[in-house]
Amino acid sequence: MSTLLITFLVIVLLLVLWGIGIYNRLVQLRNQVNNAWSQIDVQLQRRYDLIPNLVEAVKGYMTYEKGTLEAVINARNQAQNARSQIEQSGGPTASSIKELAAADAAVRGAVTNIMALAENYPQLRASENMQQLQEELSSTENKVAFSRQAYNDNVMLYNTSQQEFPAVLLASTFGHHPVELFLVEDKEAKKAPKVSFS
Amino acid sequence: MAMNFWQAQREAKTKTALYIGIFIVLTMIAAALAEAAMRVFAGDSYGAPPFPYVALGFLGVTFLVAGFNYMNYLQSGGSYVAESLGANLVDPNTHTAKERQLMNIVQEIALATSLPMPPVYILEAQEINAFAAGTNPDNAAITVTRGCLNLLNRDELQGVLAHEFGHIYHRDMTIGMRVAAMIMGFFFVTYIGLRLLQGASYTRNSEERRGGNPIAILALIFLVAGSITWFFGSILQAMVSRQREYLADASAVQYTRNPWGIANALRKIASSHVSDMPRNGQPFSHLYFNEHSSFWARIFASHPPIEDRIAAIEGGKFDIQDDPFLNKQPPPPPV
Repeated sequence: MSTLLITFLVIVLLLVLWGIGIYNRLVQLRNQVNNAWSQIDVQLQRRYDLIPNLVEAVKGYMTYEKGTLEAVINARNQAQNARSQIEQSGGPTASSIKELAAADAAVRGAVTNIMALAENYPQLRASENMQQLQEELSSTENKVAFSRQAYNDNVMLYNTSQQEFPAVLLASTFGHHPVELFLVEDKEAKKAPKVSFS
Repeated sequence: MAMNFWQAQREAKTKTALYIGIFIVLTMIAAALAEAAMRVFAGDSYGAPPFPYVALGFLGVTFLVAGFNYMNYLQSGGSYVAESLGANLVDPNTHTAKERQLMNIVQEIALATSLPMPPVYILEAQEINAFAAGTNPDNAAITVTRGCLNLLNRDELQGVLAHEFGHIYHRDMTIGMRVAAMIMGFFFVTYIGLRLLQGASYTRNSEERRGGNPIAILALIFLVAGSITWFFGSILQAMVSRQREYLADASAVQYTRNPWGIANALRKIASSHVSDMPRNGQPFSHLYFNEHSSFWARIFASHPPIEDRIAAIEGGKFDIQDDPFLNKQPPPPPV
């Protein structure tokens, strides 16, 4: 065998190894993104499960706030629909993730409304059940925020790895495409929260 | 100006590496000096062998004892430390409001750090303190005092727990244990020197060798080299530990994106005078969220002063005397 042929084979071998490396890294990152998404999904599901309990707990007190209670149930059902659609289609897409973000923001707004109204009912506020719900809701809120942070970090890593040279030459051949971030869309959430000292 | 937590973390990591480097260099210098001293003082009875036997002996004993100690530390996971202090495991499905909140917060930070959910313990002490123990994220355990649950609000408790997760994430317990094992090795070298010296003084030396009794000289060299490395090693150990505390504080801000939670928790500790961690926990005091350095001199303290920690988190300077949060009493009425 000539030296030329050996050199050629070595180069081909190196190229194949390099391709395998990129392939494996991208698969690993995509799995991390999927795992991070399922963490968000678990927490969103938990939030939507808590809302009927919340409505149940405040219903007896807030007899004049029927509209507010219906609004939170509607928002919750819409968000739940958006969530299960993503689940059935096997993962979020650019449009479905935006839809869910908007629906989830509506749920958060409605819950904030109920909590604000609950301040007017001292008995309700003092009830143990309500305090428990409040703790669970705010913890779930934190968990959604933290898992969204983790998801976005993973998405950024995955997207960057696809766009970097030389991986960019192979990424779409291997079936990898940039994934949408899960961003807080609504104006409510971007506004600074109102704090009252009383 | 709140802290730039990424930069604070980089600085703490760089300083850790620097101190560990000094630690290693110090050990090597001590070994080399021991070898040189033996060659000078023992004269012909030691001669000039091709291998530095004394230096190798010094390093050998140190690393052997350190390795043995380290294996010993590794045996005990975080739950062992928590239980040996008398802390009680919190039921993950607890229905007590405060404990429920505690478990929720731990779950939140576990999500934020992508670490597994550790077992959580409560220690029946009234002071505000907490610690993470264990050698890796899979066998780590977090303990908080009853005082934490009673005196801290949700954000402050979250800050304290995020600090403990910072220790788990950066594997500070492992770093601490390795250094502690080395210190134990130095201590053992000193001990060997002391025992040899005692033995050597009883041995009658009939044949007068030029350069004196090599055993006695070796003993003295081990004693001096061991105690010097032990002393300076302990100071470096404390310096490393203090950097890891700053690192964990900065990490807590990173995870919670809320500098006030941990800063206000530290404030509450600074203004409290309760100190009732169990006595048998002294060997683990370096793991605590806060350490009372009443009888340790400051250079041996495993934790930085609280004022410095608050200043690092919030930026600027912290003075307990005129802190607006702590001094809530109204100003004296005009005369």
